[in-house]
Amino acid sequence: MSKRHHNSIVGSLLAATAIATLLALLPVASVGQSNAKADAKTGKGGGKGNADQKENAADFQSALTPTGPTPKMPDGKPDLSGVWTPGLSFTQVGQVPLQPWAEEVYKQRRDTLSKDDPEGHCLPAGVPRISPFLQKFVQTPTLLVILDEGNIHSYRQVFLDGRPHLDDPGPLWMGDSIGKWDGDTLVVDTKYLNDKTWLNGQGLPHSEELHVVERIKRPDLGHLELEITMEDPKAFTKPHTFTRTYLLRPAWEIQEYVCNEFNVDAEHLVGK
Amino acid sequence: MTFKFRAAVVTGFSLFAAVAPMLAHHSFAAEYDSAKTVTVKGTVNKLSWVNPHAYVFVDVKDTSGKVTTWAFESLSPNALSRQGWNRNSLKPGEEVTVEGYMAKDGKPLADGSIHANSRAITRSDGRKVFVGSSADDVPSK
Repeated sequence: MSKRHHNSIVGSLLAATAIATLLALLPVASVGQSNAKADAKTGKGGGKGNADQKENAADFQSALTPTGPTPKMPDGKPDLSGVWTPGLSFTQVGQVPLQPWAEEVYKQRRDTLSKDDPEGHCLPAGVPRISPFLQKFVQTPTLLVILDEGNIHSYRQVFLDGRPHLDDPGPLWMGDSIGKWDGDTLVVDTKYLNDKTWLNGQGLPHSEELHVVERIKRPDLGHLELEITMEDPKAFTKPHTFTRTYLLRPAWEIQEYVCNEFNVDAEHLVGK
Repeated sequence: MTFKFRAAVVTGFSLFAAVAPMLAHHSFAAEYDSAKTVTVKGTVNKLSWVNPHAYVFVDVKDTSGKVTTWAFESLSPNALSRQGWNRNSLKPGEEVTVEGYMAKDGKPLADGSIHANSRAITRSDGRKVFVGSSADDVPSK
């Protein structure tokens, strides 16, 4: 075997291993999916062997995400209902332009290896931060409810009945959300968020001035596309927009997850 | 070629290690030392099916017969259940070898058990299962 050919094979092996590794990881990142076929057939995990695991892991982007047209509400608007996994997109926020004080806070949190992350203490993620756990959307003509399986059980109510924002309810963990339709896009406007939450796991900070607009589309049955714009005149130098894609998991259900049951981590998070 | 193949596998696991920390509900690096690995051979004391992380407790007997209990943090029960696990997936008394990472603070849990994070468990039949940073395989029921 020529050296070139040999290296090519090694390179392919490396690439294949890396891809297989990431594919195998995705189920975990999305709170596990490799037994979804077994789940769908039997209603429980299958305890399958390695071969089935890998086959199912490779299905992450294909068979597990159903295809079909966008479901519609009786009034013709898209129905966003379903059990969704964010996959690895839960980590995505992008490069947010920070003011100097916020940059300093961000650096301090990274330097201490995120030991003070509110999520490590079983506190809510806030908006728009999410975790790798599932989200269940339940939509009616006048209300969208978003149920978070974890990091802690939490919920958001997005009022679609035309009401205005609350009149200064004080800082809230999940904010006050109202939504309206722009064609087939639901535009969710969220205000009154507290400044205790982080925008990512590394400690990206914000102030109580944070204003979040999520533009949510369901282009087909299996995908939810979110374009999220954050503005915060006290912490950012300009508004910042990023995207996430959720995948439908029709055979799954959100499960119980009581974060404070045995959160022994809290007292052992020492940082460096 | 064998060596190269092994290198590829090692690279794969390195990727696991790089991405795995963000799967926990807390910062991995703030609690565990990725450079301080440990391999422990013993018998399963219990699989504690609790949130936010399941724990695998393992009893290790030294040459004098003294038993020390280790507590290995694993994934959350809902993540494990979607990999085919349940609370009976590891039976007390089963011989296992656990590879993991030590807690940075070196302090035991409240029950006195030694605190670590599990990366992989080799079961009595030789199969290796991953419960801390991946789930390449699942235990038989």
